[in-house]
Amino acid sequence: MTDATLAPVLLIVLPIVGAAAVLVAGLRWSRAGWPIAAVTLAGEAGLAVWLADAVFGSEGRLVHELGAYGRPGPEGFAVGIELVADQLSAVVVALVALVALTALAATRRAGPRGTPFYAAYLLLVAGLMGVGLTGDVFNLFVFLEITGIATYTLVAADRRAPAAVASLKYLIVGTTGASLYLLGVGYLFLATGTLNMADLAATLAGEPSFVDGPMYTDPLVLASFAFVATGLFVKAAIFPLHTWQPGAYSEAPDGATVLIAALVSSIGAYAFLRLAVTVYTPAFFEATPIVATVVVTMASVSVVAGSALAVMQSRVKRLFAYSSVSQFGLIVAAVGIAVHPDSGTSAAEMALIGAVVHLVGHAVVKGGLFAAAMGLSLDAGARRIEDLAGLGRESPVLGGAMAVLGLTLVGVPPAIGFLGKWYIALGAIEAGIWPVAAVILASTVLTLAYVARVLEQLYFRAAAPTHPEDIDLGGHSDLPGGTAVSADGGTADSTAEQRTGDGAPIGVIAVAVVAAVVAVALGFGGAEFADALDPFLTEVLGQ
Amino acid sequence: MTDVASLRPLLAVAAAALAIPLILASHRRPDLRDGWSVLAAVVQFVVVASMLPEVLAGDEFRWSAGAYAPGVEFALQADALGMLFAALASLLWVFTAFYGIGYMRGLEETNQTRFFAAFAGSLASAVGIAFAANLVTLFVFYELLSVSTYPLVAHDQTDEARAAGRKYLLYTFFGGGVLVLGGTVLVYSLAGTTSFGATTAGLTTADPALAKAAFAMLAAGFGVKAALMPAHSWLPDAMVAPTPVSGLLHAVAVVKAGVFGIARLVLDVYEPGLVEDLGVGLPLAAVAAFTLLAASVIALRQDRLKRRLAYSTISQLSYIVLGLALLDPTAITGGLLHIPAHAFMKLTLFFCAGIIHVETHTDHISEMDGIGKRMPLTMVAFAIAAAGMAGIPLVAGFVSKWFLLIGALEADKAIFAVALLVSGVLNIAYFWPIVYGAFFESPDEADEKPLVEGTLGGHVGPRPIQPIRPASAGDGESALGGAFASSSSGSRDEPAPLEDGEYAVDRHPSDHGAAERAGEEQSAAEGDHRDAGDEDGHSEGDVADDGANEHDDHDHEIHHGGPGPGGWQVRAWNGDESTWLMLGPILAAVAGAVVLGIVPYEAQFLELVEVVVEEVTA
Repeated sequence: MTDATLAPVLLIVLPIVGAAAVLVAGLRWSRAGWPIAAVTLAGEAGLAVWLADAVFGSEGRLVHELGAYGRPGPEGFAVGIELVADQLSAVVVALVALVALTALAATRRAGPRGTPFYAAYLLLVAGLMGVGLTGDVFNLFVFLEITGIATYTLVAADRRAPAAVASLKYLIVGTTGASLYLLGVGYLFLATGTLNMADLAATLAGEPSFVDGPMYTDPLVLASFAFVATGLFVKAAIFPLHTWQPGAYSEAPDGATVLIAALVSSIGAYAFLRLAVTVYTPAFFEATPIVATVVVTMASVSVVAGSALAVMQSRVKRLFAYSSVSQFGLIVAAVGIAVHPDSGTSAAEMALIGAVVHLVGHAVVKGGLFAAAMGLSLDAGARRIEDLAGLGRESPVLGGAMAVLGLTLVGVPPAIGFLGKWYIALGAIEAGIWPVAAVILASTVLTLAYVARVLEQLYFRAAAPTHPEDIDLGGHSDLPGGTAVSADGGTADSTAEQRTGDGAPIGVIAVAVVAAVVAVALGFGGAEFADALDPFLTEVLGQ
Repeated sequence: MTDVASLRPLLAVAAAALAIPLILASHRRPDLRDGWSVLAAVVQFVVVASMLPEVLAGDEFRWSAGAYAPGVEFALQADALGMLFAALASLLWVFTAFYGIGYMRGLEETNQTRFFAAFAGSLASAVGIAFAANLVTLFVFYELLSVSTYPLVAHDQTDEARAAGRKYLLYTFFGGGVLVLGGTVLVYSLAGTTSFGATTAGLTTADPALAKAAFAMLAAGFGVKAALMPAHSWLPDAMVAPTPVSGLLHAVAVVKAGVFGIARLVLDVYEPGLVEDLGVGLPLAAVAAFTLLAASVIALRQDRLKRRLAYSTISQLSYIVLGLALLDPTAITGGLLHIPAHAFMKLTLFFCAGIIHVETHTDHISEMDGIGKRMPLTMVAFAIAAAGMAGIPLVAGFVSKWFLLIGALEADKAIFAVALLVSGVLNIAYFWPIVYGAFFESPDEADEKPLVEGTLGGHVGPRPIQPIRPASAGDGESALGGAFASSSSGSRDEPAPLEDGEYAVDRHPSDHGAAERAGEEQSAAEGDHRDAGDEDGHSEGDVADDGANEHDDHDHEIHHGGPGPGGWQVRAWNGDESTWLMLGPILAAVAGAVVLGIVPYEAQFLELVEVVVEEVTA
């Protein structure tokens, strides 16, 4: 087992096997879920480290041909599905493995428990790994659907009515998005006759003998990009396609939100980055400049709209959910800058590093924020912003972690949020796309607008003498997508569940603190990020 | 001139930064906690001072953590300009550390641990700004300074304090996270580096429009912290913070970080020659000149002492910016020397305002007639520092202003010299009434104060007779001062009724704490009166909470500041007026101001400034 090309396969298979093991063991031992998941994810982390070691070390880009069909024929097209691990994939795989393992700690005692939950948890990881590693656009769709279906299950895992509604909404919107993506893939297949990413890029560039010149302006290809981008924007929750996301994040059980918020949208953004940069390639955007302009415009609107919506929220989890809409706007904007015809190689390079850094940073920060929110709600039943009043003193560790992570999100140096913003802003300014540069810089203040609300409640307001029952009533009452607060009957059982423990368990606190520490520590890794991604950048940007 | 690799710049930052966990950890033991605070201040100052001789000889200490991002090093460097700011901030922190302990304990403030921890964080960031070797490192500490000062502004946890905190965050992050970051990125993309001293070459050959844009963004971004108009209004509002904060941070460390940023920008990022070529110096000088005059005029009408001092700070900071923007070596010398000069004087003034607040609960100038009897040493220190502000010889302000005037003439920009002189007159106009009132008037027979009390600042229109009722001043000012000051006029002059109708001071009546600490009894008459006033305050406050009884609220406001019914008590000149924990730092700071005025070279600061100017003009 020394061949590192096995790692991509194992990374996908192991969690699927683990999920099956959870189900089987669950028939006999009802509490076997967590240990099996923990062992599986520890294995995943080991595999991810092995893969990263190989990719960043001696091996470079790894390709595993499933079934070893090879590349017969005059053009050397792949027949089977390829799993590809390049530097970008390795970063994403490591992120998924480590975040999934860490987030599992939050569910140890705080729940949700049960066999189906852990099976879905592992399936979700399998799907995320698949998206990160596949080299085939149709296979990407399959893994996106695995990710989606596992997430729908997780959102509804605690069987509350609002969660079921949120899950259903996510199911409908998410599946529509995936279908749009599939339509785009279909067009692409019609135009080129292949589904392999590397072959697609070559065919679109007009390299094979059977096409006459580049196909970038082919209406089929243009239409395919429109469908693919729209479908992936749904998955990444870009405004105005974000409507599933706040409900899903805020109604999902707290433990599941940590994982979902950290990784699910991230993988959608990763898929968009991957397709835009390595399949369509900057040459496609150069042929039709309006496409990149549309992408950065949508992304900029998402940055502003997401922040504005976040400021208006009254509940902690919804606030952080809308914050993700804004942050993914930044990431997509960075991708848009990277492929924009106005950007030179250096600008594109900066923007791509920025996109990856912000992708990683956001995952860590958002996972930590939801873990801190989970802990504070376990400690004091805090679900609305005003319930946070005085908790900086009551729960100093969780409050501190939330404050550090919030400031990281704002972009206060030296934490990771600043690093991502620095690269993205540098890319935008070097490319001379001034309106986008202005939005990126202004996003600091926009983010501050909602983070400051949280900080002020945590530290500069004394706790209000409210009955805990009242707090929880307000906590679960509104339906996904709506902002109206109305009491409903679905709160009683969840309240009882959350009140069983006395305060946040150590696992939840640990997740929040680890996230805060990692977020700050990663901020010093700018040079390492740039070095690690360098081969990937050289390949896609062709220096 | 050599670069010496050394850990000392890092150590200076770390001394304060490491104090934060220690302060937080010892929150149950106030004496130990405050000891850490003092120790950190002393260590930081010693480390900074230990580098002074070599820096004066032209050497630079440098510490680098390696690449932060490609082409951007995370590095600290103690050069002459950095030393000027670092030495000043760390020296004055030593004074303020003692004063802060006296002040916070005197008022029995809540959340003292958070206060001292955030204070140490602010000083770590300020020294980090001073020693930053490039724009990115400077930006890192600049943002950390904004974050660590926020808890101090919002310290009181009242609606007013939270509003001030929110405004502070908005202003400083717009200035820092948007403008400074944008300017830094632009400089990096134009010059390929952000190291001080290495950017000029790239900027000279860059597109002038972009180079000007970068200068404008950086100047505006630093200008927010330097309280240049029209981005000044956070500063008067931030005066809601405890006085040690107003004194050290909002007269020295934070606002001067903004000024220091402009100094780096003009002297090291662009260098005066390029600033001249781009023609961006004159607009900056014009903004500074406008600010220094307008702020002085607004200060005339402030009745709250700390707000008057805040506008004075806004005005004085613009002296420094003006000196830098004139681009003349003498003017730059004057501007840079004004950094320490103003710091010593303004720190004294704020310390005086704070000690008056702790001892007598008096915040309004109209209530301070005759206070010289009650607080003789304090008011003498106040008078000396105020004289320095106005530029009267033998105090620090004179020396720097002299250089500024000569520089303005040398640069053939006499109009700015006129602005400086007019501002000096205005300084006297807003400081002299305080000094005169304190020593030569008594509460019963005070002159009218038409500027503060009259509508439109004069004898026009109806005005109330009672001299110690500040309510009408707010109305009058919104007519005139409202044009300049954009903040809500209601809270400006009258003590704003707070959420629960009380001041923090009311909740923690300081006279008891101070009396107990000093182990002495207040005289029975005054103590009784004060107690009655406080109880009154509680009950009245509850009424005011309903928003029904404004007048009662005002009536009781009269009682709890200012002299008692029998006028000010007479206290001896031997420190009887307060504790030496606060008086000592006041006398030390005012002594510093005088030393700087009489022997500026021996005080090292002028020498440092000359090293800076020599390097720039070489």
